[in-house]
Amino acid sequence: MTNPVRLRARTLVSLVIIGALLGVAVGAEVELGKISREDPLGRELLYLPSPEMLKILSLGNPGLAADILYLWSIQYYSGFKPDERFLYLETIYNLITDLDPLYFDAYRIGALIMGIQTGGDQARLKKSVRRLFDKGLGNLPGSWQLAEAAAWDLFMRFQDQGAALHYAEMAAAQPDAPGRIKRMVGVWRDKERSWTIDDSIEYWRRAVDDAGDEYDRTMCVSHLYDAVVAKDRKALAAVLAYYSVRHGSCAESWEELIEAGLIREVPLDLVGKPYGIESSNCTIVAFKKIRDL
Amino acid sequence: MRAVRAIAVNTFREAIRDRILYLFIGFAIVMVISTKLFGMLTVGDEAKIVKDIGLAAMQFFSMLIAVMMSMLLISREVDNRTVFNILAKPVRRWQFVLGKYLGLVAIVAANLLLITLVLVVMVLIYTGQFDLMLVFAAAMTMLEMSVLAAFATFFAVLTRPILGSLMTLAMFVVGHMSADLWMLTRQLPGTFTRAVIAVVYYLVPNLERFNFRSEVVHDLPIPPAAVGWAIIYASAFVAVLLSLAALRFRTKDLK
Repeated sequence: MTNPVRLRARTLVSLVIIGALLGVAVGAEVELGKISREDPLGRELLYLPSPEMLKILSLGNPGLAADILYLWSIQYYSGFKPDERFLYLETIYNLITDLDPLYFDAYRIGALIMGIQTGGDQARLKKSVRRLFDKGLGNLPGSWQLAEAAAWDLFMRFQDQGAALHYAEMAAAQPDAPGRIKRMVGVWRDKERSWTIDDSIEYWRRAVDDAGDEYDRTMCVSHLYDAVVAKDRKALAAVLAYYSVRHGSCAESWEELIEAGLIREVPLDLVGKPYGIESSNCTIVAFKKIRDL
Repeated sequence: MRAVRAIAVNTFREAIRDRILYLFIGFAIVMVISTKLFGMLTVGDEAKIVKDIGLAAMQFFSMLIAVMMSMLLISREVDNRTVFNILAKPVRRWQFVLGKYLGLVAIVAANLLLITLVLVVMVLIYTGQFDLMLVFAAAMTMLEMSVLAAFATFFAVLTRPILGSLMTLAMFVVGHMSADLWMLTRQLPGTFTRAVIAVVYYLVPNLERFNFRSEVVHDLPIPPAAVGWAIIYASAFVAVLLSLAALRFRTKDLK
């Protein structure tokens, strides 16, 4: 028979020993955490298996493999120190998007992470971002969302208006793209030198016709108004200048120009309101009030 | 058919008394529920992650159940000598094999049903929508599992339990790689080598034919012909394997 007191004491001693060993394990873990080590992962990324191999290894779940890599990449790259980890960023996102070519977030976030890098060769970086977006748009040709994201990234981050416009037009070409994208294209086009006022008027007239809702239509009319004013202003400024040269001062009203035989009637703006003349600096004034339409 | 049904029901009852089954189901459900955690780690569409992990868990745990339960499928009856009691009754050996197979399929189906229910609720919580396509993906996984269960039954008759389970597991792995085997035939030189690989390809089931998970996750259209042919493909494979198992069991010395 075992003495119950001795048995209890033995159990207690065993528990104390187990507790002490657990303490050692925890202490060792804390100490290990304090030791700074080289990050080998960055280099090991070079030896990541090919997408074909990962597809096979995933046993019919390449989407899950893509998710795991994507989740890992978000955690890994969220520290965004400009170091060698970023060298393999394009490789990682190529791998993710090879595993799941329809993974919208991987294209979007991958390009975003690439974009936040400030060091290194920026031209090369821009090419990488464009390659990822182009791949995404190749696999998701109907995604105006991805094309819009590409447009804004190229516009805001790389200040490349040409590339931004290219993507914005891709987005606008989608039948389900919201009106704001067409307006964005129009506004960016209006800033281009090769884009004439007549081109702008033509573009905004079509945008008004194609507007999907009242708000969109109002916004497009506003842009059309500006384009028409710009054109009218150009034509009327020449008439005003001619009058000023002939009479030594600027016309106070349109009637003076009509009397002088320079125009036939009071010029009206897009919404049928007469333009004004600011005689102090001899310019044309438009009283934009689109909401009355 | 009464004999087959009785054996199937008995196999199912026996299996649901096994704790290991609950362990797997428990793990599967915990995994599906924990997708919320993974969803929190992502940037973007959380529902995609939930569906991907949920559907993978559905497939993985169903496979594990099929493999583990196949170990006990016939060997337990033989080891406990209960098989003699059964076969002493007006039950033919092929009926015994078919009943065991249907019992195994019922266990896997019950597990799939539970996981699907949890996954559908999880996705409903995330997106506010009842995703009927998840049920379709589960049904196609069931089709895949029915082929795997046929292999499990065949190997259970053919060999020892552990070896049979390992072979079923190997079939699962190879079945998902067989499409790559087919690709190999295009790259290899020599008509004979290609012919040999092509024969191997057709002998091993291409389990990727039942994989519609990507289409379900990305809301892509699914060609009805692909589903129809997949059902025919699975049925043919199951019929062949069960016939082979019944043939082998007919002459098997159970002593």
